Amino acid sequence: MKKLFGTKNMKKTTKDSFITYAMVILVFLIVQIMVGTGSMSSLLQGLLVPLCIYSIAAIGLNLCVGYLGELSLGHAGFMCVGAFSSAFFTKYMMDTGMNEILRFIIALIIGTLTAAFFGFLIGIPVLRLRGDYLAIVTLAFGEIIKNVMNVLYIVKDKDGLHFSMSDAASLNMAEEGTFLINGPKGIIGTPHQSTFTIGVILILVSLFVVYNLVNSRSGRAIMAIRDNRIAAESVGIPITKFKLMAFTLSAAIAGMGGVLYAHNLSTLTALPANFGYNMSIMLLVFVVLGGMGSFRGSIIAAVLLTMLPEVLRGLSDYRMLIYAVVLIAMMLFNWAPKAIEWRQRHSLKDMFTKKTKGVQ
Amino acid sequence: MALLEVKNLGISFGGLRAVDDFQISIQKGQLYGLIGPNGAGKTTVFNMLTGVYKPDNGVIELDGKGITGQRTIDINKAGIARTFQNIRLFKNQSVLDNVKVGLHNNHPYSALTAVLRLPKYRRVEAEMNERARELLKVFGLEEKRDYLASNLPYGDQRKLEIARALATNPKLLLLDEPAAGMNPNETKELMETIRFVRDEFDMTVLLIEHDMKLVSGICEELTVLNFGQVLAKGKTGDVLNDPKVITAYLGE
Ligand SMILES: Nc1ncnc2c1ncn2[C@@H]1O[C@H](COP(=O)(O)OP(=O)(O)OP(=O)(O)O)[C@@H](O)[C@H]1O
Ligand SMILES: [Mg+2]
Repeated sequence: MKKLFGTKNMKKTTKDSFITYAMVILVFLIVQIMVGTGSMSSLLQGLLVPLCIYSIAAIGLNLCVGYLGELSLGHAGFMCVGAFSSAFFTKYMMDTGMNEILRFIIALIIGTLTAAFFGFLIGIPVLRLRGDYLAIVTLAFGEIIKNVMNVLYIVKDKDGLHFSMSDAASLNMAEEGTFLINGPKGIIGTPHQSTFTIGVILILVSLFVVYNLVNSRSGRAIMAIRDNRIAAESVGIPITKFKLMAFTLSAAIAGMGGVLYAHNLSTLTALPANFGYNMSIMLLVFVVLGGMGSFRGSIIAAVLLTMLPEVLRGLSDYRMLIYAVVLIAMMLFNWAPKAIEWRQRHSLKDMFTKKTKGVQ
Repeated sequence: MALLEVKNLGISFGGLRAVDDFQISIQKGQLYGLIGPNGAGKTTVFNMLTGVYKPDNGVIELDGKGITGQRTIDINKAGIARTFQNIRLFKNQSVLDNVKVGLHNNHPYSALTAVLRLPKYRRVEAEMNERARELLKVFGLEEKRDYLASNLPYGDQRKLEIARALATNPKLLLLDEPAAGMNPNETKELMETIRFVRDEFDMTVLLIEHDMKLVSGICEELTVLNFGQVLAKGKTGDVLNDPKVITAYLGE
């Protein structure tokens, strides 16, 4: 009655995805021109890859929060898993003379699959439960993974690999051995392979996967579970299967962001600032402010909110003030119409339905 | 052989015996009514038939196969679909997509097919669109297929729930107060639609309803529930004239 989609639902959603692809490609071209003509500060250039990392992780989280309707407070943990597993592989393969591009692609696959595996592992028990258990379990997972990475030592010497979870001395490493993971010092000496171009390609790949998924039979099933679990069951939707599918894919995409992160730094460490719960919350802020269910919004929010504090650094005192104002403005912009819609829906519901317990 | 055969079905909530020794036998193609005063246990019977509640005792057989205590999704696959007394649509999806969710199991393709946009995706989606539009047409909702489900008028929302249930291609359709909140005109139209669905889709329908015009208008047989127990059953005319039934309703 009030809100009409465009002419046809299919067309509308396809258009939506094409606008997003176009936006990403346009920004990519503009950045290339700016870098080429030397009109971009080195500060901004240093931000390009992180912007891609956060955009990808936010796209992944949006699938979980916006489409599946489940809260995750541990997506930084999936980034962490993706980062360490891929960097470990890269480091292990460094002196084997393997082709660098091939090595990076395999690292990318390993990081993504490892994060997917952990998402699946967490999802199996937790997504079967009814209620908001996922938020708590993912929060714990993120913190545990970060701490495990800080006590994990792995060295490679002529006898092969040695593991320890306590200290480096207990490894009995041979003279010429090298650290692959050195406890709190992390993984040192990973090559800088993440570029803005690779970042943009990975954003486009993530977008392609999530858009094609949500505009399909599986995507409709996932949204049906979010909108009304009991009704979804009543028409034969296997709840656990689709919850697991969405959550695993969501974790995998965050892991892909982690791979990009790991190969953007020469030292990879698990700190509260990069893989702690603050990062998970930050990703959630991108998703909520960008609009739940809007992948384009997630990217815009991730880019704006990551750039803003850096760009405003010169204004020292006013920096956080402006940051806060932008946050509020974004929230109003994205949520005011939704808030109104929400209120309308709920007043309608109250008017027509008797409040009763159980399934009526 | 009856399509639905239920014997000795019962469930308690704490100390409350919500349904006790319930039985029903519905033949294929019948339009069957389940009536009774508020709180009699009608919806609870539906919830047991569809696996939302596990019955404490009793046997449910659909087409000769036992489905007692099975999961809701398996019961739907076995051939029972339902609507809800408190409408349960997928509010944030379009009218068309609500029906397409109902088509989920009958028009399969994998998630990978979707992500890679293989030719099968396009083909099955086209099939689904066509089938969904046919179903919407039955309920006069085809023109509104792109509306958000939550933006439909109330009567249309009830119809959309029936269309979604039919999309699963059931043998037995359970309707929980399909005319609730409708005006007399809408109710009359709905009666015709239900009859049309029975004839056109070869459907068997069990419906709960308080509107006696609708019940006496389309139901061939009735079972009356009162305080969780079967009070009367038989041909609609006979049951509605049964003094026991009249007292149960007046005694409310
Ligand atoms: N999940 C539940 N937990 C506890 N009690 C329940 C539950 N579901 C139903 N009941 C109780 O069982 C009894 C029957 O409820 P039910 O909803 O089946 O009635 P009904 O015949 O559908 O009534 P109405 O015509 O008002 O819809 C009521 O007393 C109700 O409070
Ligand atoms: Mg009821």
